[in-house]
Amino acid sequence: MRRSSTAIVGVGSAAVLVAGWLAGSARFTTDLPVAPATQLPIAEKTPPPTDAGTSPLPTPTEAAPVVVAFNGPVIETKYGSVQVQVVLTDGAITDAIALTLTDSSETSVEVSARAAPILREEVLAAQSAGVSNVTGATYTTQAYLSSVQSALDAAGFMG
Amino acid sequence: MSVNTFESMGTVISIRLAPDVDTEAPDAARAIAPAHALADIRRVFDDLDRRFSLYDPASELSLIADGSLPLSGSSPEMRGAYADALGWRERTNGAFTPHRPDGVLDLSGLVKSVAIERAGRVLERHGHRVFSINAGGDILTGGVPRESAWITGITDAGDRTGLLTQVTLSPGWPAVATSGSAERGNHIWLRPDTDRSFRQATVIAESIVTADVLATAIIAGGQTTLDHVTDRFPVAVLVQLAGGALLANPAFRALIVRRPDGRQSLDLTTEPSHDDAAPSPVPESPERPA
Amino acid sequence: MIRTNRVGVDPVAHVAEPARRFLWRQRRADALEGLSWFSFAVVLALFLADGGWTYFTNIRDLATGTGIVAGLIGSNLLLVMLLLAARLPVVDRAIGYDRALAAHRRLGKPVLYLILAHLMLLLIGYGLALGRDPVAQAIAMITTMPDLPQAFIALAILVLVVLTSLVIVRHKLPYLGWYGVHLLTYAAVLLALPHQFGQGELFAVGTWARWYWLTLYVGTLAAVLGYRFLIPLARNLRHQLRVAEVRAEAPGVVSVVMTGHHLDKLAAHGGQFFGWRFWSPGLHLEAHPYSLSEAPNGQSLRITVRQLGDGSHRLLSVRPGARVFFEGPYGLFTAAARTTGHTVLIGAGIGITPIRALLEDIDTPSGGLTVILRGDDEEHLYLRREVEEICGRIGARLEVLVGLPPHQGRTWLPSAEFAAGQTISTLAPDIPDVDLFICGPKPWAELVVRDARAAGVPRHRIHAERFDW
Repeated sequence: MRRSSTAIVGVGSAAVLVAGWLAGSARFTTDLPVAPATQLPIAEKTPPPTDAGTSPLPTPTEAAPVVVAFNGPVIETKYGSVQVQVVLTDGAITDAIALTLTDSSETSVEVSARAAPILREEVLAAQSAGVSNVTGATYTTQAYLSSVQSALDAAGFMG
Repeated sequence: MSVNTFESMGTVISIRLAPDVDTEAPDAARAIAPAHALADIRRVFDDLDRRFSLYDPASELSLIADGSLPLSGSSPEMRGAYADALGWRERTNGAFTPHRPDGVLDLSGLVKSVAIERAGRVLERHGHRVFSINAGGDILTGGVPRESAWITGITDAGDRTGLLTQVTLSPGWPAVATSGSAERGNHIWLRPDTDRSFRQATVIAESIVTADVLATAIIAGGQTTLDHVTDRFPVAVLVQLAGGALLANPAFRALIVRRPDGRQSLDLTTEPSHDDAAPSPVPESPERPA
Repeated sequence: MIRTNRVGVDPVAHVAEPARRFLWRQRRADALEGLSWFSFAVVLALFLADGGWTYFTNIRDLATGTGIVAGLIGSNLLLVMLLLAARLPVVDRAIGYDRALAAHRRLGKPVLYLILAHLMLLLIGYGLALGRDPVAQAIAMITTMPDLPQAFIALAILVLVVLTSLVIVRHKLPYLGWYGVHLLTYAAVLLALPHQFGQGELFAVGTWARWYWLTLYVGTLAAVLGYRFLIPLARNLRHQLRVAEVRAEAPGVVSVVMTGHHLDKLAAHGGQFFGWRFWSPGLHLEAHPYSLSEAPNGQSLRITVRQLGDGSHRLLSVRPGARVFFEGPYGLFTAAARTTGHTVLIGAGIGITPIRALLEDIDTPSGGLTVILRGDDEEHLYLRREVEEICGRIGARLEVLVGLPPHQGRTWLPSAEFAAGQTISTLAPDIPDVDLFICGPKPWAELVVRDARAAGVPRHRIHAERFDW
């Protein structure tokens, strides 16, 4: 290639790469801080395991400046109705809290019902307990034969 | 108590019946001979399989898939199932879909939980109040066995022969379904910080169809769908991540069997207010063998 | 980079035309090459935009990230490779079919290495993440992941294709066997597709990257399908080429004249070649590249062939009336490739025949036209009479060099001329300000090129037809 063509291609490629880089970092730095791969992203968003049922909604910011909170109208969305409380600090929106969130069947939604990390030790039960059925990712006829369920069935085990 | 198994829909269906039949039911006489009920159940599975199987090239769904039968000209049952599937797609924000990635309409997976649901009704009609139906790992229970409980093991996606935990199914939480990217190894090609490394999702719900659909949706949609599901549906969820770590919501924690004697420690106050509008069909696409 | 300080030295007015054509061609070649490089930047940008850099933030994922990049670059390069061999007219006009194929061949090994690196690095990366050794990881991938068995088969095919291509260079494999294996490349490309779309996060459903990548593949495969299969088919149906005459030119050398419909509409020029497939017993399985030995006259096409390898000797047995399937025309070895008004044509042995065809298309003898024919003996000066007749008619200088080269000294000249101190400059006095067309056996042609370069002919004005595939 001639030098001018090389320059054009070089600049163009660099521009595309920089754009890609910017798009990538914008996407992954705003909501997900670079975390060690082993850290579960969910740990950031959910209450600690011990705090099961009653994780409180974030409370309005307590600060010296003038804080005003007011409730917005109930908005019907495709997936249910939403009401938002907006918190203004010195006239600027500093927080928006979902007050009510209902699904289409009018069941109100508890954000605290979300799944949180749980230790294996917490879920371990004595393996001798009377298991009658086993659930797992679907097993086929063939896989059934080597499944725990197969053994339970063969023993006629009722639990 | 009896254990019966038969093959259908490419898997094994195992049914447990407790002897405590409600003698006041009009069908009590027939319940003495569960053979009738079992034959009826078998018919339920085989009929649905015949209609919705993509393995059988002559099934109605296969005809639709290969284009020789327009969906508009299909049976009301097919269209109903499709409509229900679309309803679920809406409710799961698109995480559950009745289409395979290649665009083929695939209702075969979801039909299994529909069959389980119908089988449950068949048993009740025959006077069986205490039963469990396990079709390829998706389970619906009825009632509570007199001497024990419906203790259900959840397999460890990392070790298929081991149990991760045990939960108690009861009339409040009668159905459980598990969906997995299991051997799919969805960790492949994923970014280190991605949250889509869900290996297996177990959902316990009031309806087997709900459980099945939501388990499938969580695997397909990852963290976003998991949050959506736990926010909006009265379900208990356990998710196993690719690395083996576990996520569970409070409802699930309450269902875990705690004591070694097998007695449940179920806190009935967590029983959800059930959504009666839960539609009927739609489970997962065909899973690969474990 | 082609740079010359000697452009425009020729005073002849009509030189401007070839020079402009040359500039256009160079621009087009640059645009194509630039586009190829750019495509690599795009795919890397897509990777970055998808957060690809997060792979490189810790040691464990380093191998995975590098492996994915290797796969992306390798696949992109493979597509470039396919396009180079797809007989795209735009590529042929810009850099010529022979150079495109040469580039195609050069890319074979890098593609293979990149794809192998892709596999190895991912096995290591995933193995590290899951605590497995690479072998166990490979087994786990093949046995448990959808789309992966196909991808492994695709890689195996790729290895096979590159291996057979290395062997064919040494003529140890029959052409047909190599060709069959080569066609498997398309199967490999298709087999490797599902895992890119199914297992990769980058090309997940609903992403722009997916559409881009899909378009790239569909476009490439459509180009291959169109230009390698459909368009040749349509042209053959239109022109209905048949053998009209088979004439012995010398022992073991025949001219085959073909006629057909609408040959005046076939945009072919002297010096170009076609892939020919004669519908005759034992011949129709192989397509052979032969240059025209006569500029197309709208009525007939002629090739002159010397018996050499697999099928060419059977050409002697081709009978008039036999159907001919052709692909082409290809090649930049035409009068249009000139950049000045002076032209020197040098042909040796059977290489004289394209020179003969090209000669008819050279329309500017006024600027100086020298033709040099070379043969080990008189018998090897194929089509000499025809060349003499044309040179006489248009007033071109003709030099005929006959005799074996000297035992000592590497030269393209016969021993007598070599001993007499003849050089390319003495034979063609207007050197170096000429366009030089060379056609003959590769080692011989390389010697001519060497001398021409030494005499000051810039590289871009040396047009050597390559007969080495």
